[in-house]
Amino acid sequence: MKKLLITLLASAGIMSAAQAEYTFIVPQKPGGGTSVWTAVVATQLEKFLGEKIVIRHLPGANDIPGFNKFHKELRFDDKTVMISHGGNGESYLVDSVDYDYYQYDPIAMMNLTIVSAHQTGFDPAVGEIKFAAGSGTDPDMMSQILMINGPGLTTARAKEIFANNYRYVKGMNSGDRRLAYQRGELNVTRESTAAYTKHYEGKDFSQVWYSHGVFNLKTGQVEADPNYPGKSFSEVFKAKWGVAPAGEFYDAYILLRNFRDVMQKALWVNKGNPNTDQLREAFRKMAADPEAMAAIYKDTGKYEWIIGKDMVTALDMLRGQIKPNTLRNLVDFLQATSKPAVFKENLIK
Amino acid sequence: MEYALFLLLGVAYGFVVGLIPVAGATTGLIAIYSFVGYFHNPYMLVVFTTAVVVTSSIGDSFCSVVMNIPGAGGAAATMLDGFPMAQRGEAARALSASISTSWVNGLIWGLLVFLFLPYYSKIVLGFGVREMFTFLLFSVTCVVFISSRYWFRGLIALALGIFVGLVGLDPNTAAPRFTGGLEYLGDGIQMIPVMAGVLAFPELLSAYRMHVQRIYLDNTAIKSQLLQGIKDSWQYKWDGLRGGFIGGFIGLIPGIGGAIADWFAYSQTIAFNKTEEFGKGNVRGVIGCEGANNAQKATSYVPTVLFGVPGAPFEVIIMGLFMYVGLEMGTPSVLADQVFFDHLLSSYLWSLFIILPVSYMFIKYAVKITNVPFQYYFWLILASLVWSSTQYTGMLEDYLMLAACAIVGLLLKYLKFSRISFLIGFILSARVESSYMQFTGLYEWHELLTNTVPLLLLIATGIAMVYGVFFNKAKIDFV
Repeated sequence: MKKLLITLLASAGIMSAAQAEYTFIVPQKPGGGTSVWTAVVATQLEKFLGEKIVIRHLPGANDIPGFNKFHKELRFDDKTVMISHGGNGESYLVDSVDYDYYQYDPIAMMNLTIVSAHQTGFDPAVGEIKFAAGSGTDPDMMSQILMINGPGLTTARAKEIFANNYRYVKGMNSGDRRLAYQRGELNVTRESTAAYTKHYEGKDFSQVWYSHGVFNLKTGQVEADPNYPGKSFSEVFKAKWGVAPAGEFYDAYILLRNFRDVMQKALWVNKGNPNTDQLREAFRKMAADPEAMAAIYKDTGKYEWIIGKDMVTALDMLRGQIKPNTLRNLVDFLQATSKPAVFKENLIK
Repeated sequence: MEYALFLLLGVAYGFVVGLIPVAGATTGLIAIYSFVGYFHNPYMLVVFTTAVVVTSSIGDSFCSVVMNIPGAGGAAATMLDGFPMAQRGEAARALSASISTSWVNGLIWGLLVFLFLPYYSKIVLGFGVREMFTFLLFSVTCVVFISSRYWFRGLIALALGIFVGLVGLDPNTAAPRFTGGLEYLGDGIQMIPVMAGVLAFPELLSAYRMHVQRIYLDNTAIKSQLLQGIKDSWQYKWDGLRGGFIGGFIGLIPGIGGAIADWFAYSQTIAFNKTEEFGKGNVRGVIGCEGANNAQKATSYVPTVLFGVPGAPFEVIIMGLFMYVGLEMGTPSVLADQVFFDHLLSSYLWSLFIILPVSYMFIKYAVKITNVPFQYYFWLILASLVWSSTQYTGMLEDYLMLAACAIVGLLLKYLKFSRISFLIGFILSARVESSYMQFTGLYEWHELLTNTVPLLLLIATGIAMVYGVFFNKAKIDFV
């Protein structure tokens, strides 16, 4: 009863989040994908952490302000944990943001991927692609342009294709996108693995085109998606063009894709936070518990958790991929799609 | 036992949320996030949230009629005729008519929705980008041109509302727009402080300063008015049913939301009753918009459940809550889950049947508020407006935003610019813009003229405009 009362008071804003045991900062409104993901994970994690978790939403444009606020002030509280998502990873590369992953201790992250699908009977190589633009969809758009134009694609050529032979339909949220795809107004779509399975698996009108693949922590390469054998981007590309994908535009795509997907869902605390080990240990225990993981996989799809120091390795690998020309090409291309991308020299090691 | 407990808790909580000025179902549902972990049985969450949605929709009429403060966005239209009725001593009649109409339409559309849910998929799928774009044009035109006496000032207010609604992130370039460099505005200006500041606060201030002649209503008078309200609902049933049809249809279309349904229904009530005067206490004005209220809530479950696409803002929260307990809307597992549908339908109907006598009984106490000097509860309402408006981040910026909206509201009221047109522009701006971008991204303009539904909607828009400017005599002065 007491616990219920405390929760009710917290919901009414009477009790501040600072009084809670742990506060997880979500940079978006309640009901968003990361918000729901956090709630699902926090419920399981509480059992292994032994302390209560309160979720605080700090929404804002492109989900950036909440993360910036964490960077500027909230991270100095030892009981505050930041939850970031793939869109934050993309913004880190090409938007003006305050936050910097390399100033935090990583706790854990889920190494996810995204699936591209098209209408059954539609040949993306022949017809004009109609695809919805949205948060985190730039890597999908870039990979589609690569897939239909083959190896050695330059950034300049990709810009021409985008301008003349591609419909990147703006103004659609995920709900609009799903309905427009079902109606046939869009002929290509993208979803997380779990969402694709839930919404389209077994439906006659849609077929998986390719999965972006999964980042291998040991090799630093993007490899086959265990959920879609034989359907990874590189496999489908090679089957179509006879050679593995390569070239400057491919490198730009891979850079963006990795910052989005490898850190699709990640947790951070300030560097030197005394609770880092406790949090990582709780995650390890949770990841080893089949019941807890089954509850999480139900909503997220079955993907690997990267915990603690392994995550530092992954971050270093990602950072090593930021080459001046690759980043310049990426920014150059995104600017041509009307995105206010900026070239951030400080990201280059 | 568990079912009854969650149902009653949901009914009680929803009714209280409905009574809180400008809070509405969405705010009430957001608060549930904090204790969603206590719903170990996911179907009990379905029962609880459904009860909250149904009862908050009925509860929000009380604020509108008795205090002239909207209980939620949709209930704002009820104020226009409901509050003048209360001022001349007919609060119980207005409330009874409002509750009865809302309840009947909730029952009709609830049964239509939950009994035949799978059959609506064709309507939702048939209403594409072109249809949505032209429908938005039509509905905004009706509200501005048919209803407002000062249609030109209404247009300016609409444009101003659209401008304020465009503050935030430019969906075309993903760059901040009209934010003045303020990070707080990056996600746009939030709905609740605008509702509270622009619409509610000026009314609150007017009521505080107003010396209203107090009309004492004894129990006999209240009972008589209650019966009269029920009779009114029957006598003007076509106004209520028309409102229900409009609300029901708008609920089916994802993303438009409840407020426009009520205002659109209100504008049609005026258009269909040309010889009558509205805005000064006409019970048909109350009945017309309240018909849309619960009907829209019921049908907005259709795109939510069938496609996982929220039919109204509160459905975004519902979807998130359901996902938390493992019920993901629009997925085959939920669509095949008969237990889910049984709980949805039964809790919807039980909530309706429980809330009707509760609401009728509550009228007796609610009308007594009209006998209490407003100064006594001014601070309580002000506190609830502030609370609702500061749930976004809870930081100083929320309070400043509310203050800025209140100043805009007072200016609009003083200069006689329709605050309703402003609000409709604000609420629909994002949808109009995204609809325009979707349309231009997928189609050419001439395709509006070669497809039946968009063409008919364009013709209807033109007719509404011409009729509103040159022929409509039944206009009111919007607040």
